[in-house]
Parts: sequence; C-alpha cells; structure tokens
Amino acid sequence: MSGVILESVDKSFGDAEVIHGVDLQVEDGEFCVFVGPSGCGKSTLLRMIAGLEDVTGGKIFIGGQDVTRTDPADRGIAMVFQTYALYPHMSVEENMGFGLRMNGVPKDEIAVKVREAAEILRLTELLKRKPKALSGGQRQRVAIGRAIVRGPGVFLFDEPLSNLDAELRVEMRVEISRLHQELGATMIYVTHDQVEAMTLADKIVVLRQGEIEQVGKPMQLYRDPGNAFVGGFIGSPSMNFLEGRIDNGNLHIPALADLVVPLQATAPAGIAGVTVGLRPQNLELDRTDSQLTVELSEMLGGVRYDYLKTSTGERLVVESRDADDADEGGSVGVSFDHSAIQLFHPDSGVRIRLSD
Amino acid sequence: MTVSPALFLLPGVLFFAVYVIIPIIQSFYISAFEWNGLGELSEQGEYVGLRNYQELFTDRAFEVSLWNNVKWLVLYLLAIPAGLFIALFLNQTVAGIRIYKSLFFFPFVLSQVVVGLVFSWFYLPREGLLNAIISFFGFEPVNILGDPTLATYGIIAAGLWPQTAYCMILYLTGLNAVDPEQVEAGRLDRAKGWRMLWYVILPQLRPATFIAFVVTIIGALRSFDMISVMTNGGPFGSTRVLSFYMFEKALSEYGFRMGYGSAIAVVLFLIMLVFILYFLWTMVQDERASRN
Repeated sequence: MSGVILESVDKSFGDAEVIHGVDLQVEDGEFCVFVGPSGCGKSTLLRMIAGLEDVTGGKIFIGGQDVTRTDPADRGIAMVFQTYALYPHMSVEENMGFGLRMNGVPKDEIAVKVREAAEILRLTELLKRKPKALSGGQRQRVAIGRAIVRGPGVFLFDEPLSNLDAELRVEMRVEISRLHQELGATMIYVTHDQVEAMTLADKIVVLRQGEIEQVGKPMQLYRDPGNAFVGGFIGSPSMNFLEGRIDNGNLHIPALADLVVPLQATAPAGIAGVTVGLRPQNLELDRTDSQLTVELSEMLGGVRYDYLKTSTGERLVVESRDADDADEGGSVGVSFDHSAIQLFHPDSGVRIRLSD
Repeated sequence: MTVSPALFLLPGVLFFAVYVIIPIIQSFYISAFEWNGLGELSEQGEYVGLRNYQELFTDRAFEVSLWNNVKWLVLYLLAIPAGLFIALFLNQTVAGIRIYKSLFFFPFVLSQVVVGLVFSWFYLPREGLLNAIISFFGFEPVNILGDPTLATYGIIAAGLWPQTAYCMILYLTGLNAVDPEQVEAGRLDRAKGWRMLWYVILPQLRPATFIAFVVTIIGALRSFDMISVMTNGGPFGSTRVLSFYMFEKALSEYGFRMGYGSAIAVVLFLIMLVFILYFLWTMVQDERASRN
C-alpha cells in the first residue's frame, strides 16, 4: 500500500543545506505530523515528498516504489496547500475535477467522484460557486475535496489551517481527523502548532534546523522527550528548565532554595551540571512557602497559569486547577512529585537517563 | 460639499470636451458639407447632406483603405501571442535577465517613425538586409514596399515589432502576479506544458490579455505614422488605411475636401466605437462580477 519511506534525504539550496540526511518511515494509513519552529525544513521536506522540490541526496519511496525522480503527478499523492491554491476561474466542481480531467478520466465518472467528495465534505450546495464566493473554511474544504477526488494513497497537508481563525481551526482539525478515519489513507501533515500535532497525529516528527529531533507517538514525546528541545516544544505551556547540579547522587536545584533531591538511580559518570526539566502541569503552588515571586497570573477559566520568578533570576510556569484569586506580586513556593523531574545535558540538551 | 467633486472633475471634463467630444460632433457636422477648408464653413461650405457618404460607397480608394484596416486589425493581433511567448521565455531567473528584458522591450521605446525608417532600409530592394539574406539562400530579391500586393504586409510586420514588445511587457507584469502555489497544484494535477498554459496560467493572465487586446486593436486602427514614413500610401495607394486616406483627402498637400475627409473620419470613429463599447461593456461586467 502507500507507506512513505525517506532514506538519508538531503536538500541544499546552492550552498545552504536545509535538510540533513533525514531517515523516516511513515506506515500505510498512518497520520504523521511534521512539527517544528519556522525554518526547520518541515515544509521543504513535505514538498520533496510531493516532488515539488528536487532531492539533492538520498531516496524517497512511496508505496514501495522509488519516486525520488518521479513526476509529482505520478507519485499517487495529493496536496493541500496553505493558501489552498484553488483555481480562481473554475467553479468548485471544476476545481475538484480538474486533476481527473487532466488524467483523461471520462466526464460522468468525474461527476460521480466529485459528488461523492462533496458529500463527505458537505460541499454539495456550493459546487457551482467560484472560490471567490466562498469563506475561508469552505475554501479549505474545497482544497481538501480536490485532494480526495483524486483518490491518492498519500495526502500531504502544508499548514492547511494557518489561514483560518481560531474557532474554525478547531472545527477543521476535527474534520481532518474524521476524514482520516473515514478514508484510512496515509496522511502527512506539516504544522508549527504543537496542539495540532498532538491532537491529530499517530506519529509526530519533531524537526529542528533540517534534522529530525525525535519521532514518536504524541504522548510518548510528551512523557518521554529525547532532548530539551522536544521537551520544550511539545506541551503547552512549555516545559520549565532550571539549572541543576549533581553531587554525591543528589540533585541540587539552586533556583528552588537549593532543593536537594536524592536520585533514585545513578547518573552517568562525569556529569555535574544538568538542566532540570519540569512540566507546568506537574508543579503545584505551595502557599505556605515564599521563595518565589508571582510575576503574572493568567486565568483561563478552567486553569490558571502562574508565572514565577526565582531568586536566581530563572522563570517558572505553574498550571493550577483551583480558581483562587491570583496574588500577583506575592510570594509562594512550589512542590512536585520528584519522579516528574527530567534531566537534560546543559550544552547538547540531550536527555540524561538514569540507570539503576 | 457636493461642489467639490464637480470641481475636481471639471479640468478633465473641460479638456475632454474641448479636444475630444466637440471635435467628434464637428466631424459629423462637417461631413454633411462640401468645403475646402478656406473661409468660414457657414459661408463657403455647401450643404450636401449624405452625399459624401454616398460617394464613399463608389470610391475604390476608400474600399482599399477599409480592407487594409481589416488586414491591420487581424494581423496586428499576432503581437498578442508573440508577446506572450516572449514573456514566457523571459520569465525566468538567469543572470542578466533584466538586460534581455529591456532589450526586448527596446523597440517600444523607439518612435514609430524611427521603426518605419529602419524597416524601410531593411526592405530596400538592393542594399537592404532582407534581400541580402534572401539572395544568400539563392532566391530572387523582392521589393516589398514597391509591390502593391506586399507593401501593406511589410508595414504591418514593421508595426508588429514594437507592438509585440508592448504586449510582452504587459504579460511579464501579469506573470509576476501568477500564484506559484497554483502552478504547483497544476503540476500535481498533471497539467503540463500547453495544458498548464491553457488551463492554469492563461486564465490568470486574463487582465493582461484584455489590455493587450485593447491597445493592439486601437493601435491597429490608428496606424498612420509608419505608412506615412514607409510608403506614403503608395504604391498606387495600395497601403492607405482610413486614417491615412482621410488625411490625404482633407489635410495633405492636395487635400481640400474637408467634408469628404470628415465622412471618412466618421466611418473610422464608428468602427472604433464598436470596439470601445465592447471593451467598456466587458469592464463593467468584470466590475460587477468582482463586486458580487
């Protein structure tokens, strides 16, 4: 079927190398999300799979076929663009049927397929309209419809929701998720929004500067990040990082009044300074203590985020569920389950795993 | 409050009336007279009604001019596809592409008179470059501008040179506005080569095509200077067009028939009016469509 395999794929624009030897396997029927900050190469990687960018080095396989040099139209893929890229002079119907028409499919067959796709996406009423007469969300659905009609093995989405307002984005997110379940096709989805990544993906690929940082299931990346970058990128608000020190099998955290945490297992030898990662969700405000200053409190209804400053000048975010009035400017402490601590190498950011 | 818009419009309206509207009305009026242009029309002119127009029907020279205008109209339109293909060809990023673009645009900067002169040298029967090329391949030399059956085509070919450059610039600007993501979507949809051009690119160039049509048709109908420079209407009046014939009849060295000249001008105006009304109608339609 239609899995996608990348084998040490490189991409350079002139002298600038933007993708460095990416290896990746996307299973058939999987929903894979490329996520990373802007400029990390996620869109370039997607466009290479689509065949819109040449591959400088390495190989791309789709459905077991080497498509590294294959024409985009012959790869069995369909793409949904960020700006939708609908043909403005064609009606919704013509837009959706254009690919089939170019492939020489008979007219009545096109009409049937377009109607089917329109029904899935609730576009039947709009088939005769031009893109100009549609709202952003409707255009988005037409762009998806255009992809569905072609019946591809792999769907490629290039930040498809970034031009929609927040409310519509959530709605379309659910719709894309539903579509994936209905069609069962392989989907590769590019976004810079980690919430989209978490909610949609079977598999998340975190990219930074043209390299894969980590690949895994959403919760796996959340619970067990391989490095500080992934830890900080996945999860909202992002993970807190504090300076720490390992001394005699004990972890010292100067920022929290020189808190000493006895380590249950031994750290690799030769490591003294560490970065301590703590998720805001795992922290709890301790109102009896007073080593931290509350800089700002954000009440979001169900949850509250308190932005704290430590005596060492570092910052901490704490997520709380209680709706107590925020005490901005006041002093508090934090408490947490020590097993929630994750340690990272202070320079490389690589996770330090403790061994028994 | 309501005065200021009118005041802003006033200079334009005034000039348009004095230099365009009133002369058009005058042409209609004068075309009903036999008048040599000397003295006052009301004293020297003789009212003849529609007789000038009747005369046009039997005038061989008028018929030739009218036909030549049709040839100009049809052949001049070749500038549009030619300009499109040069624009497509130049729409790439190569070192020094700006220089090539300006070289292709250059003929449009030249005065029509200069273009006419250069081409008449090019066509010269003995010294001309064209015949040098032709004889190199072993053909008999041709005297294009001296041959009544070829002369008009020779002038139109000269006219196409700057007009193609003009259309090219229009299309180059239009190509800048083509959405690259749509081209990519087209690639995924297997629209390649001609089909990409026809289904994806050309529809997006519609505004440029429209303007190219307008300027080319108007340009073809008002062709005058090149004819005047290259053949002066000859040989045997075979390259005259309506505007040139009107000038000959009414204003040139031997011209003295103001009324007859005006009648020719009126015919030319009516032909233009058909196109102009069509263009205006299209523009209004477009505006309506974009507002809905």
